[in-house]
Amino acid sequence: MGNPNVGKSAIFNRLAGAKVMESNYPGTTVDYTKGYMRLENKDIEIIDVPGTFSLEPKDKAEEVAVKMLKENKDAVIICVIDSTKLERGLYLALEIIEEGYPVIIALNMWDIAKDKNIWINIEKLENILGVPVVATVAVSGEGIKELVSKIKEASPANIERIVERAGGLEK
Amino acid sequence: MGNEVKFMIGRIYFAIFGLVVLGIGILEILLGLTGRSFEWGIMEMSGEFLLWRGLILFFAGAFYLSSIKNFTDIHQLAKVVMGSVMIWIIAGVKIFSMILESIPGEEGWLNTFEGFLESYSAPYIPSLFLLPFSLVVLYYIRLSGEMSKGGGDER
Amino acid sequence: MKLTVDERWDLIDKITKQVVKYGEYKYTLKDAIAELTVKPLTGIPIAIAVLYGFWAFFGAFAGFFTDGFFVKLFDNHWLPWLQGVFPGKGGWLYYIFVGDPKADNCFEAFGVLTSGLFVAIGVVLPAIIAFYLFLIILEDSGYLPRLAVLIDTVLHKIGLHGFAVVPMILSLGCNVPAVVATRTLETKKQRFMMATLLAIFIPCGAQLGIMLEVIPEYVGLVMIYLLAGFFIFGFILNKLIPGRSPEILLDIPPYQMPIARNVRRKLWARVKSFFTVAVPFVLLGVVIVNIMYLTGFLDWLANLLEPILCGWFGVPKETVGPLIAAFLRKDLAVAQLSAIEMTTYQLVTSVVLVSLYFPCVATFAMLIKEGREEGLKGVLQYLFGSLLALITVVFLWGGLVHLIWIILGVA
Repeated sequence: MGNPNVGKSAIFNRLAGAKVMESNYPGTTVDYTKGYMRLENKDIEIIDVPGTFSLEPKDKAEEVAVKMLKENKDAVIICVIDSTKLERGLYLALEIIEEGYPVIIALNMWDIAKDKNIWINIEKLENILGVPVVATVAVSGEGIKELVSKIKEASPANIERIVERAGGLEK
Repeated sequence: MGNEVKFMIGRIYFAIFGLVVLGIGILEILLGLTGRSFEWGIMEMSGEFLLWRGLILFFAGAFYLSSIKNFTDIHQLAKVVMGSVMIWIIAGVKIFSMILESIPGEEGWLNTFEGFLESYSAPYIPSLFLLPFSLVVLYYIRLSGEMSKGGGDER
Repeated sequence: MKLTVDERWDLIDKITKQVVKYGEYKYTLKDAIAELTVKPLTGIPIAIAVLYGFWAFFGAFAGFFTDGFFVKLFDNHWLPWLQGVFPGKGGWLYYIFVGDPKADNCFEAFGVLTSGLFVAIGVVLPAIIAFYLFLIILEDSGYLPRLAVLIDTVLHKIGLHGFAVVPMILSLGCNVPAVVATRTLETKKQRFMMATLLAIFIPCGAQLGIMLEVIPEYVGLVMIYLLAGFFIFGFILNKLIPGRSPEILLDIPPYQMPIARNVRRKLWARVKSFFTVAVPFVLLGVVIVNIMYLTGFLDWLANLLEPILCGWFGVPKETVGPLIAAFLRKDLAVAQLSAIEMTTYQLVTSVVLVSLYFPCVATFAMLIKEGREEGLKGVLQYLFGSLLALITVVFLWGGLVHLIWIILGVA
């Protein structure tokens, strides 16, 4: 899951070898697509969903995304974030973490962030969130292998601990 | 030669080039509006969409001319780039269609060799002549890229 | 524990402060160009240049295949051969499959295997390849969304708000995904309005393609009529339909080099769906029209509708055949229209009519499906709403086009 136009479909196509339309265009995916990938000699079902900014859907494409999340309680969520727009991506990621899903974060469009001189400390982000974080460039395939190898490390994280590690909330 | 001198030359170059492009553009618009055509040596101003091509060249010329103030500024360079891209579009599709038109024959499947060569002979539209001169912008893109990189290293 | 919205943002703020380091922000040439392409003053000239490139590229590419090879193949080899070997000359089967035995070109033969195949393979196929190739490159490079923003800005300046430009531009490829894309709109009003307007007014890639091929000199005129209709009726619908139409915010993706693999894949998907979905409908359309002609039904219908067609719209009654074919495929209908003898103005009017009067079967099915998402009431609303809008539009706009011709003194 992730915000619109962060490259969810591109990552999905990489993982499932499928042919979902990917465009440099927000709102290309308006329905979910199922596909399969092989992980440790097992076929695993993966689902590509439309982009959404939060778990409170604003339009019908977002509703689809949220519905898919609610229907698949035992799913591992690959949270795709546009590295140049980390904040709004994290918002959705935190919401999903709070729901108790095991999450792995893909910081996509890493190349564009690099061009824009934005540097994200992946290790530190991993430590704070307590979930695996991988830098990817979906259109060229960079980082996808690492993403796959870390899927099994995805685990639910405790939001209270995250708050603690981030240095507490202002009251 | 220092970069400043290079940019000064670029400024003068694109000012002159811009005027030429603008002039051709205006001429083509006038011809297009009155439905006439014009041939001068190996250059011709005629054919489909003459008015539109004139309009595009007019804007390209305007882009060049508006860029000469603060020529080193990245925004201004972007205008030069887009002006050149507009010329490349016109010239590019013209070359593309010349190549495609040269292959099939009038009656048979393939063109005769004479017919093939014939389709590449003069006269040409102005944009084809402008094309090589507009490529100068590539040099300035590189120069500007090097400068900003150089500036970054000094940090 | 669940956080409140504010707490969440606060937490994000804390995290990003620790993990993100922003380097010196360098304004790149790419950024400057991106800005130029969306500002109206510089963006409109650039858009004109891109559209010109589109047009010229299309003409060269489609002309190369259609006029350079397919016309020769079909007219000089396929047609004479088929006319020679097909049994039962003059019989009804012959008429359906080969068409007019005296025809010397595939445009006017009207048979399934002559006109049908020629239109589908010889004319529309090169057209859609050229069209989609360019469109996909524009889309993947990131220019298309910028064009959308540019158009949106201009529309706002002239007081038209709330038009979803993205589905509109997508619609130039095919109305079906465009109707689906209206799902990203927030209110039901907007979804209904855009889906209906798109289905009625915006021609699809195949139709645009064949128009550029057979009546290139009038495409501009046809498009002006269609787009003017789009905005005028959009404006009216916006006032008539209850509900809100909030502003549409669009994220602009970065400019990037289109990736050959992705372009190839998308182009292939389009071509494949053309063969599996469009070609059968084109052939079926020819069969149906030919059967109607043979049974005399077409003549009967033409005479029945003559007062409307000739009187109100000012087009010859023979256009009834293409109008029926247009239920299935608009591209076929345009091709058939171009084979009927009529004046320029009648041709433009009838092409506008064909575009307007009914969405193609696939789009219509998609409209119903979209309505179904909102329950049975939704289906009925979509169905009757669209049809009502459609009939009104066809009569008003078609008549108006005719009226304009009369005023100009050319009809």
